[in-house]
Amino acid sequence: MMKKGIFLLIAPLLVGILLIPAFSQEDMEVVDNGSFLKKQRPPVVFRHDEHNETAQLEDCIECHHVYEDGEKLDDESSEEQSCSECHDEKGSGNILGLKKAFHSNCKGCHLEQKKGPIMCGKCHVR
Amino acid sequence: MHTLYNFVSGPLVWLAFIIFIGGCLYRLTSLIILVHKKEKFIYSYMSLKYGLRSIVRWSTPFATENMRRHPVLTIVAFGFHICLILTPIFLLAHVTLVDESWNLSWWTLPEGVAEIMILIVIAACVFFLVRRLVNPEVQYVTTASDYILLAIVAAPFITGFLVYYQWFGYQTLLILHILSGEVMLVAIPFTRLSHMLFAPLTRAYMGSEFGGVRHAKDW
Repeated sequence: MMKKGIFLLIAPLLVGILLIPAFSQEDMEVVDNGSFLKKQRPPVVFRHDEHNETAQLEDCIECHHVYEDGEKLDDESSEEQSCSECHDEKGSGNILGLKKAFHSNCKGCHLEQKKGPIMCGKCHVR
Repeated sequence: MHTLYNFVSGPLVWLAFIIFIGGCLYRLTSLIILVHKKEKFIYSYMSLKYGLRSIVRWSTPFATENMRRHPVLTIVAFGFHICLILTPIFLLAHVTLVDESWNLSWWTLPEGVAEIMILIVIAACVFFLVRRLVNPEVQYVTTASDYILLAIVAAPFITGFLVYYQWFGYQTLLILHILSGEVMLVAIPFTRLSHMLFAPLTRAYMGSEFGGVRHAKDW
């Protein structure tokens, strides 16, 4: 009886501990694709910290940018926002659609740096 | 891999399309020049009405006697040609790449539908292969080039299917997929795949002769 009680107390705690990393950016495994109405490809495998360490990226605004009048701002970043707050699925004017924004941010940089995956299935892993 | 991928998906695509379009224009103009030199008299009975009538007739499933005599071949051939042409043009991955390069995009097939269409093309290729191997009439007129052509057509779809599912070596297969597509494009004007260009002209010619001269059906 006592054992069962302890288990009942610990179980939710364990679940909680297991869930924390699933929601924290440190161990993020795939890019959130919740904003796409039609999900046509598997979400992109992406481990935030591991990626930045390998890529030797220290500046958040490399990806989490803020644009004003078509210019990227040097001193403002957008980590607090989700990409889809500016980039809707279609895009408008200067603002790229969400898919294109992801592709140009990731693949564009990989092409420039000649490092990192550029083939479809290397990010959209089945 | 970056360099190789960029090469096959960049300059080689340009080269393939230049040869494909240039080759098609070359074949068409040389045909017209040849007609002009040798068979000018066909202009006297070429008719838009009978030409189009024949093209429409032969583009409609089961609208000709020959199609009704070979129902299975008719279904396979129509399914094959429709899927062969539409799938690569309206495939999500292809349109995405064009969009990234040229800022141009158009409607795409749902992935599930595209998958089925690729399978139809592959199954049809298997059907054509078996037909060549077992059907005596077809066997009699088959040479090695027929198998090579069939392989050229099947390759982009087989590799495309494997790449879509990421089975076996993804990177190598993707490169092979792009290369095989380029080989097929280049082969179109210079092999019997040129029926893509000439079939409508052949039909227009036959239709005109049967309609305007013989006053008979050509189906």
